[in-house]
Amino acid sequence: MKKIAFFMGKGGVGKTTISATVAYQLSRENKKVLIVSLDPAHNLGDVFEKKLTNEKRPLGANLDGVEIDLSAWVARYLKESRNEIRSNYLYHSAINLENYVNILKYSPGTEEYAVLWAIEYIYREYAAAYDIIIFDTPPTALTLRFLAMPSITSLWVGQLSKMREKILKKRQTILAVNPKASIVRNRPLEDGGDEDVPVQGATDKKNDKIYIKLSGISARLTELQRLFSHESYLSVVVNPDTLSLSEALRIREELDRLGVHINSVCLNKTSAEGAGRENVEKNFGGCPVFMSPLLTEGVRAVSDLSVIDVEGVKNDLKAAE
Amino acid sequence: MFKKILAFPRKLIGYITEINRTKATDMMSFEVNEMENLFAILLFGSFMGLPAPPAAMAIELLPYMENELRLMVSRADFAQDAIASVMDILHVD
Ligand SMILES: Nc1ncnc2c1ncn2[C@@H]1O[C@H](COP(=O)(O)OP(=O)(O)O)[C@@H](O)[C@H]1O
Ligand SMILES: [Mg+2]
Repeated sequence: MKKIAFFMGKGGVGKTTISATVAYQLSRENKKVLIVSLDPAHNLGDVFEKKLTNEKRPLGANLDGVEIDLSAWVARYLKESRNEIRSNYLYHSAINLENYVNILKYSPGTEEYAVLWAIEYIYREYAAAYDIIIFDTPPTALTLRFLAMPSITSLWVGQLSKMREKILKKRQTILAVNPKASIVRNRPLEDGGDEDVPVQGATDKKNDKIYIKLSGISARLTELQRLFSHESYLSVVVNPDTLSLSEALRIREELDRLGVHINSVCLNKTSAEGAGRENVEKNFGGCPVFMSPLLTEGVRAVSDLSVIDVEGVKNDLKAAE
Repeated sequence: MFKKILAFPRKLIGYITEINRTKATDMMSFEVNEMENLFAILLFGSFMGLPAPPAAMAIELLPYMENELRLMVSRADFAQDAIASVMDILHVD
C-alpha cells in the first residue's frame, strides 16, 4: 500500500465523503489511518461529527484526524522569518523588511508554500506511525498549485544556486590575485558603517550561508516531489455530470505535465446501473474507474461511512506499490 | 654597479604589478558586486513585478542577504536597470 493518498476533484463531487469513507473502512480493517484536511473550508469534522483541529484527534479505533490551519502555518512561518532576520542583520536596514514580511501573507504562492510545508511536516511526523495518510484536498486551483510548486520552485533554486556558485568562484579568484581584497561590500562610513574594514565573505559552498540555505530548500523540494510522484496514490473524484468530468480531465492533464500520474477515477453519486461510467472510461482511457452509488437518503451519520461503496478504490489503493 | 642600475626598473615593475593587481581585482570586485546585485534582483524581483520565485521561498534567504539587499536598494539606477539586468541574467546560463 502507498503511504499517502489524495482525493481531488471539483467542489461538491464528494472528495471529503470518499476520503472519509476510505479512511473509515480501512481503519475497520485494522489499518492505522490518519486523515488530514487541507481544505480551508473544513468540513471533514462534520462528517465524523467531531471538531477537528491542528492537533490530531482520535476519530475511532485506528483512525485519527487533523485539520491543517493554513493561516496558522503562514503566521508561524512569518514569525520565524522575522526572528531570523532580526538576529542576523547587523544594521537596521534601509528598507523596511518588516513590511515586506507582512505583505507576504497576501503574496501569490504563500498559501501553497504553506500547504507544502504542512504536508512535509505531517509526513515526517506521522508516516512511521500510520499505515496510510489520507488527504482531503482543497479546491482544484490550490491543489494544482501546491502539487506544481516543488518543480517550479526547484527551477528557481537551481538557477540561483548556479549563480551563487559563480559568485563564490569569482570571490576565490579575487582573493587569489589579491589576498587583501575586500570581496564583500561593506556599509559606508557616513552611514555609521565600517567601510574601510575589509569583509571576507564566504568563498566556499561549504560555508556560504546562502548556498547552504538554497541546497536545503532544494533537498526539501526534491523530497516533496518524490512524495507526490512515487509515494502517493492519486484519485480524481467525478460525478456523472459533464462539468465535474471536464474538471477531472483538466486535473489529469496538469498533473501529467508535472510528471505526476493519477491512479484512478472515482465515479461518485452514480446510479445502481452506473450512469456515466462509459463516458468516464472513454475519456480516461486505461485508468481504472471505480463506482460509488448515490445514497438516496444522503450521508447523515458516521455509520453511513460503512455503507458507501468504495471497495474498488480501497482495494486498488491497498494493492498500489 | 650593474645591480644598482637594475634595482630601479625592478622596483618600478614591482609597483606596476601591484597597481595592476589592484586594478584587476577592482574590476573583478565590481563584477562580483554586479553579480550579487543580479542575484538579489533575481530573488526579489517580485518587488518590481518581475517574474520571481515564490516570495515565501525568497523570504527564507532574506536573513542572509543583508549586504546584497543594501547593494540592491542603494543603486539609484535600480528601477531603470531592472529589465536590462534580467536580460543579462538570461545570458548567465
Ligand atoms: N455517494 C454519495 N451519496 C450521497 N450523498 C453524497 C455521496 N457523496 C457525497 N455526498 C454528499 O454530497 C455533498 C458534497 O460532498 P463532499 O464530500 O462534501 O464534497 P467535496 O468534499 O468534494 O466538496 C455532501 O452533502 C455529501 O454528503
Ligand atoms: Mg470537501
